[in-house]
Amino acid sequence: MAFASGYFKTSYASDLFLLETRTHWVFLIILIVGLIIFPFIASPFLLDLANQVFLALIGAIALMLLTGYAGQISLGHAGFIAAGAFTTAILFKELNAPIFVTLPASGLMGAILGIIFGLPSLRLKGLYLALSTLAMHFIVTYLGAEYETKRGFATGVLISPPSLGAFKMEDPRLWYFLLLLIDILVILFSINLVRSRSGRAWIAIRNREVVAETLGIKVPFYKLSAFIASSIMTSIAGCLFAYYRGFVSVEAFSLFMTIEYIAMIIIGGLGSILGAVFGTIFVVLLPYVIDAIGKMLHVPTRLTTYMFAIQYGSFGLIMIIFLVLEPGGLVNIWNRIRNYFILWPFKYKPLGK
Amino acid sequence: MLRKTLLGMGLLFFIMALLLRPAFAQDAYLVGCSMAVTGPGAEIYGPVKDALDIYFKEVNARGGINGHPVKLIIEDNAAQPSKAAADAKKLVTQDKVLLLINASLSSTYAPMVQVAQQFKVPIFFAGGVCPDEVYPPKTDPYQYCSTAFGAKYDSRFALSFIKEEAKGPVKLGLVAMNIPISRGEIDFAEELSKTMGIEAVDKEVTPPPTPDYTPFAAKIKSAGANWAYAWAPWGCEVRVFEALRKLGWEGKYLAYAHINAEDELRRLKDDGFYVFGTNAFFADNSEIHKKIKAASEREKSIFPYTQLAEGWIAATVLEEILKKTPWPPDPEKVRSAMNQLKVDIKGLKGGPLAWTMDNHYRTATYYRVYKWDSKKNGIVIVKDWTRLEVK
Amino acid sequence: MQLIMNTVVLASLYCLICCGYVLIYRASRVLNLAHGELMTIGGYFLFTVTINLFAGPIPSFLLACIFSLTLGFIIYFFLMRFMTGESVFAAVLVTVALGILLRGLMTSIWTSQLWHPLQHLGMENSSHRLMEEAVISTFGIIKILGAAFLYLVLFFCLKFTRWGLRMRAVGENPLLASRRGIKLHKYYAFSWGIAAFSGGFAGMIQACDSGLDPGMFVIGLKAFPVVLVGGLDSLVGVIPGAFIVALAEILAINYISPQASESAPFIVLLAMLLIRPWGLFGTKEELERV
Repeated sequence: MAFASGYFKTSYASDLFLLETRTHWVFLIILIVGLIIFPFIASPFLLDLANQVFLALIGAIALMLLTGYAGQISLGHAGFIAAGAFTTAILFKELNAPIFVTLPASGLMGAILGIIFGLPSLRLKGLYLALSTLAMHFIVTYLGAEYETKRGFATGVLISPPSLGAFKMEDPRLWYFLLLLIDILVILFSINLVRSRSGRAWIAIRNREVVAETLGIKVPFYKLSAFIASSIMTSIAGCLFAYYRGFVSVEAFSLFMTIEYIAMIIIGGLGSILGAVFGTIFVVLLPYVIDAIGKMLHVPTRLTTYMFAIQYGSFGLIMIIFLVLEPGGLVNIWNRIRNYFILWPFKYKPLGK
Repeated sequence: MLRKTLLGMGLLFFIMALLLRPAFAQDAYLVGCSMAVTGPGAEIYGPVKDALDIYFKEVNARGGINGHPVKLIIEDNAAQPSKAAADAKKLVTQDKVLLLINASLSSTYAPMVQVAQQFKVPIFFAGGVCPDEVYPPKTDPYQYCSTAFGAKYDSRFALSFIKEEAKGPVKLGLVAMNIPISRGEIDFAEELSKTMGIEAVDKEVTPPPTPDYTPFAAKIKSAGANWAYAWAPWGCEVRVFEALRKLGWEGKYLAYAHINAEDELRRLKDDGFYVFGTNAFFADNSEIHKKIKAASEREKSIFPYTQLAEGWIAATVLEEILKKTPWPPDPEKVRSAMNQLKVDIKGLKGGPLAWTMDNHYRTATYYRVYKWDSKKNGIVIVKDWTRLEVK
Repeated sequence: MQLIMNTVVLASLYCLICCGYVLIYRASRVLNLAHGELMTIGGYFLFTVTINLFAGPIPSFLLACIFSLTLGFIIYFFLMRFMTGESVFAAVLVTVALGILLRGLMTSIWTSQLWHPLQHLGMENSSHRLMEEAVISTFGIIKILGAAFLYLVLFFCLKFTRWGLRMRAVGENPLLASRRGIKLHKYYAFSWGIAAFSGGFAGMIQACDSGLDPGMFVIGLKAFPVVLVGGLDSLVGVIPGAFIVALAEILAINYISPQASESAPFIVLLAMLLIRPWGLFGTKEELERV
């Protein structure tokens, strides 16, 4: 990070601050005010998009912790979300459990699945975790489909909105604030986690596993802890998913969802929470942006069938462009723009920073 | 340099797309559609969109309905529930459509129904499976359906047809695909077969991505089935049948007729392959079929004309709804028009499609059974329109 | 007996598909998750060639195979070449994105209808009675023969010809191989081309056997457990791996329940990870005790 000259840290305590300069404070307050006003001025469509972004952010940060910081590749993200959602659905339908029970239960299910599928593959280096999580995805969706059919919910399980104390979560604006609150907690938690001992161990493992081992870091233990932390968070995201949509069906949790989450962290930029935020916003909004561009081109209605297929393919194309041209992701672009403004009229950071 | 240009362009598009909103003509009937034009199931829903496009292009060319054109605003949800929900919200709140049309997988139903109920806009299912809430007696006031296949009624007709046609003891094999809808229906058929005195010897539930259907067919054959009934997406139905024939099975097979059933009957040329459904085949060559064929050739439809029947029915129903909605329209007027609807589908179905306040599926449904006849070298009707009351 | 026949046919289809996975992994350590789409596009190539150019089976198959081969080269030269320096994860993701792009292109060019190339080819997928109760279709035989032939040719080339030797060298230690003057890009391109060709060939046969439908790419993913069981970088291992997984699937269909056959390969994969993670014939990786 570049700083304008004249900024010094003079105590150890100031090293731990999350917000360092007055400019940080000012921008943060503007952001918070903007976020609070947003639901009152936005149309229901934009509000829904914002809610989708917030919901996806939890899963994206979880995956960022696992892949961006600990360097483990997982292809089972949709499986964990499905596990959380189905746990919620089953507990709701069979036992009529309130959200205070289903939320921790989903987290617990995530942890159990993390241990079962993480233990065999984390013993090895390489792409074995990816294959093991892929297997988990298919097994979880199979079990979910079995439950749906055996209990007669052919089109899916309907879940009524949860009640948190006095609030019945039906209004999207209520959901907006709840999800915003959860997101802020998750972001604070993750930022502190990566600054802690576990986080540093993960970064060491990602960079050079052999050297991490020689430094005395218990590599298998930390790999497993990264996987379990990530899976607990993702399952909780799955539980919220189920409540927000009010509906759980096995067809919603396809491999495409996993690919979307991976795209979020890669396009955002591996190794930074801010990257997860940018990536989520980009990937969730991209289909709608492409749709809007498509509408601007005024294609005759008959040909829109082809247009839709092209829009679907362009999602892949944009991912490819990002991966090839900007491997550092959106956060890299953000940092370059930021540094340009901070350092102006100079061009380069001073040596040693 | 390349990077900066791409980045700049991308940012520009992003901002433009979020800020600019296309405006729609104020003197048109606005109908919002959320369909799976790409993604899973697109082979069923793509033709529905095609037919709707062609039909309303011609309606508008003739001067529209009640003197006003009809504008279809179509969004692609690629069978994803979140996108379906967001698109539905956009259609209802921004574009202010009069009714929503859903032609997509059943996982998109609940989110869209939620939007419909919240904003009090009727939702019309036109190509996907009819949800439970359109059947009497617990009909949802905002959900309507015109799709051909109907859960439970299909199996009731199918099993009674098999019993009638077999004229002897029936050993039935059942085929489903491992999606909840298909499995639910075949499980129901299994239960029903016990009460009708048909012996169900084997039930096969195939996983969706199966490279080879031979193992499943082998089980049906070794169980000694002489009839088989399949209610699943077409690919599963026809491939199990082909596998059975390759194994040398001589029995008869009854499958639900999806939109490409007619072409497939011609391709397979097998006398033992029966298909049943509620839509008439183009082989009848009635007036309406000639009309659809001509329109498809004139407008150069993307899908072959034999697959446009379902979409044409939905379009006819939609036109009738809008005709009965006086100008200026609003969703409440549309809903009251839909609650007393009776549309003459002119030879595409066995009888008129009628909706009432309590029945949003249809008051009576008519089934027909077709098969290939090698002696006549064409498609023949095995059993003509059979009426089933829907209560 | 029919059980064994079904297993052999299924196993040979898996062999054809997995050959591509192993070749690319061995050469460049990248898991090509777009292989299912390459398979599907092979089927579509066959369909287009049959409708527009030739109707005879041999020339249309040949031309479609050449198209698939070219597609593999194009993918390498215009896409994967730029990912050589990057992390493996990014390369795997590029293949995923490529898969999405290919699927979008396929839907826009050929629409999402179900096609049947076989009826245009003028061939019949008739069944043959081989033994007492075992029946097999023409294309089942072609699957088995094709897989056997492809593997024999590949074994021979990789072991005895010069370029096979070089390809193995490139896979084992690219830095050293390039120091010796072996053109890395050429051999990577070869591995992609051959992988696309074998995948496309599998897709064509599958299209003739079962019909062409845009959802065929999921079969590519189901073939993953085979590669793991046999060993990610071992061509020899694919054959026993394919048999084990195919057997597990068919036994699941017959003795557990038909719908369990979808997750049977993945349960085999998990079992393999617990017992012998690097597969039957793969290079041994270091194990860490937890």
